[in-house]
Amino acid sequence: MSLLGRRGWKASLLFVSVVLAACGGSSTSSAPPLAGCNSGTTQATFWTSHTPPDSVSLQHITDAFNTQSKTTCVKMVQVPGSETDIAKLTTAVRSGTGPDVYMLDRFTVAERAAAGVLTDLSSFGASSLASNYVSFAWAEANFKGKPYALPFDTDTRALYYRKDLLQAAGVDISALDPSKGPPTIDMIRTMANKVNHKTNGAYDVIGFIPWINQGWHYTWGFVYGGSFFDASSCKVTPNDPKIVQAYTDMFQNWSKALGVDAVQTFISSYAPPNQPTQQDPFLTGHLGFVVTGDWVLGQIATYVPNLNYGVTYIPVPHAGDQPATWAGGWSMVIPKGAKNASGGYEFMKYIAGEPGQRVYTKETQHTPTIKSLQSDSTLFPGGHQFFINQLPAAHSRPPLPVGAFYWDQLSTAQDAAVRNTADPATALAAAASATNAKLQPFCPLS
Amino acid sequence: MIAAPRFHLSKADRRNLRTAAPFILPWVIGFFAFTLYPIGYSLYLSFNSYSGFGDATPVGLANYQHLVSDPLFWKSLYNTLYYTGLAVPIGLVIAIVLALMMNQRVREVAIYRAAVYLPSILPLFALTFIFIVLLNPRFGIVNYLLTLVGVPTINWLGDPRWTKISIVLLAQLGAGGPALIFLAALRAVPSELYESASIDGAGPLRRFRHITIPLITPVILYDLIYGTILGVQIFTPAYILVGGTSGSAAYTAGPDNSLLFYVFYLYKNAFQYSDMGVASAMAWVLFVISVLLALAIMRWSRYWVHYEVS
Repeated sequence: MSLLGRRGWKASLLFVSVVLAACGGSSTSSAPPLAGCNSGTTQATFWTSHTPPDSVSLQHITDAFNTQSKTTCVKMVQVPGSETDIAKLTTAVRSGTGPDVYMLDRFTVAERAAAGVLTDLSSFGASSLASNYVSFAWAEANFKGKPYALPFDTDTRALYYRKDLLQAAGVDISALDPSKGPPTIDMIRTMANKVNHKTNGAYDVIGFIPWINQGWHYTWGFVYGGSFFDASSCKVTPNDPKIVQAYTDMFQNWSKALGVDAVQTFISSYAPPNQPTQQDPFLTGHLGFVVTGDWVLGQIATYVPNLNYGVTYIPVPHAGDQPATWAGGWSMVIPKGAKNASGGYEFMKYIAGEPGQRVYTKETQHTPTIKSLQSDSTLFPGGHQFFINQLPAAHSRPPLPVGAFYWDQLSTAQDAAVRNTADPATALAAAASATNAKLQPFCPLS
Repeated sequence: MIAAPRFHLSKADRRNLRTAAPFILPWVIGFFAFTLYPIGYSLYLSFNSYSGFGDATPVGLANYQHLVSDPLFWKSLYNTLYYTGLAVPIGLVIAIVLALMMNQRVREVAIYRAAVYLPSILPLFALTFIFIVLLNPRFGIVNYLLTLVGVPTINWLGDPRWTKISIVLLAQLGAGGPALIFLAALRAVPSELYESASIDGAGPLRRFRHITIPLITPVILYDLIYGTILGVQIFTPAYILVGGTSGSAAYTAGPDNSLLFYVFYLYKNAFQYSDMGVASAMAWVLFVISVLLALAIMRWSRYWVHYEVS
């Protein structure tokens, strides 16, 4: 064996060890605390896919936690992802580089717990916190009787309207006062049609597009009194006749009345993909009505503080119907393999507890899931109280181990109804059979 | 220099091999650990139900059977082949045209080459964001220019008939890469051939048709195969174009799932539906499709590729 050969082996070994060291990453326990943390604390990482203005508030809460904690120092990291897309999390967890706390859409907790991504929080004593939270939010944070998350914020949806646009079109807006109860869908249609405006044959203002923003399948399905899941048979029921009716009225026929292509061109023009919040067509005066959530109060205050708008109930099919809305929201979880799970849990208790939720509610106008905060009216200035009042009767999405899949199936059927390419009953029946096939291996759920 | 394959190595050869082996070892290890092993593992996973965590449960051919009965699988396959069938030939023509432009004997050709190549080095996601603005049906410059010549408004990204064509257009911004390869091929064509053809009275079109094209056919073949393999893996533009939370496009992959490309659906199965088994099965089906397409192109190429002069 030549000398060069031996040297070559050494060089190669050195290279491999450098690569392995680089891949190994650094251990969190020996990392020095970040600026703003107390000495002697151990670092924990917190990942969120939220963007400004919400992520700014999350950073404030993290900073406040770091100032007061004697044991844990949290580093917040913004990562790519969405309500149903957690590719970054799953790949990181699988390779042992996941965070200690992750902010997860609460309706997917059951799904991610079933997949094995989340740590069961029973050993931390999370169950003892159940009574602090509103019951629907706590139910969403559990899977098969075990807690996998601490609920963070919630929200409800309502109908926002532009007083200026409606009045300019000669609409009497007194009927939209929430004290008169929910408006009917026919009433809103008549008002909205007066606002529609075209230039050169294309819409530049549309009164109401029911499926824009938060006008989801779930929204209209609940408004029409539909049920999305039958717990006794462990089957999803998107083909419930009431949901089919909602799809027919609010998606298929509404789109047809406006002109299927014309309304799509309007959406592509004024609400293109990845649009920044401040260019939202409601905020820029191109939509008269929009169904959206309470967080938009915060966006309006940030981007268009002088907006002349009002908020009322989502319209109902018949006069005298009970108003309906649904509540969503996020939660805090500890992914499998977290290196500083106990530090992470300490942070979770803080951010999802009273101190964190108080700041988040004040700064972003989301709704807290802590019972004691919901009765603190100082947290809900102006229009926010209306959303809080809706909460006791709000629906929530069924927490299913195939929740993301079901959502996509409902959306595909919604898209077909909006484009008038398939009959809602057929499209929803297809969604039912596809989702039930995926759901079946998890049954029974309790 | 690489020697022709031999089974008997001389002493010097063996010594050279011993010296070289440690230097290539990291890459050999990398290939086995990070390429070959995942490929084999995905084949194993395609016969299992696996969320990415916990234990994989053997399910036999169930994942493949699921794909056959899944309308979205067929839709994603259709979308992908539709896109590839358009993007590859169009991309080929554009790359050759760009290469011809880069090959002109003008003084500032270096500047033109840089300008033509520039979009190819921009990240695809940045180009996609720019494209969203350019293709806005009401405010975009593309529709503005089209209306000047009397074309009615096209809803590029909101109408399922146009979404894939939009992505084909977007892909052409990356034509600079293949154009460079064609430029190299053009410059390798012996100038004597052009000279003698000119003396025989052949005009520029005839020279292009009968000299240039036949002599660059090996590169055309390479581009077709390479473009097809990349084309069936299209992902990034669709992933960005369906982003956002307002409008009805969110949560469907483009209007009427018209941008649900194969790899995008694979990604959704793996990371949104936590179904690594189905995703792995899709990866293997795509692998087989890619091999079949490449073989078909190779076989077809016997009729039109000329290797005589090179």
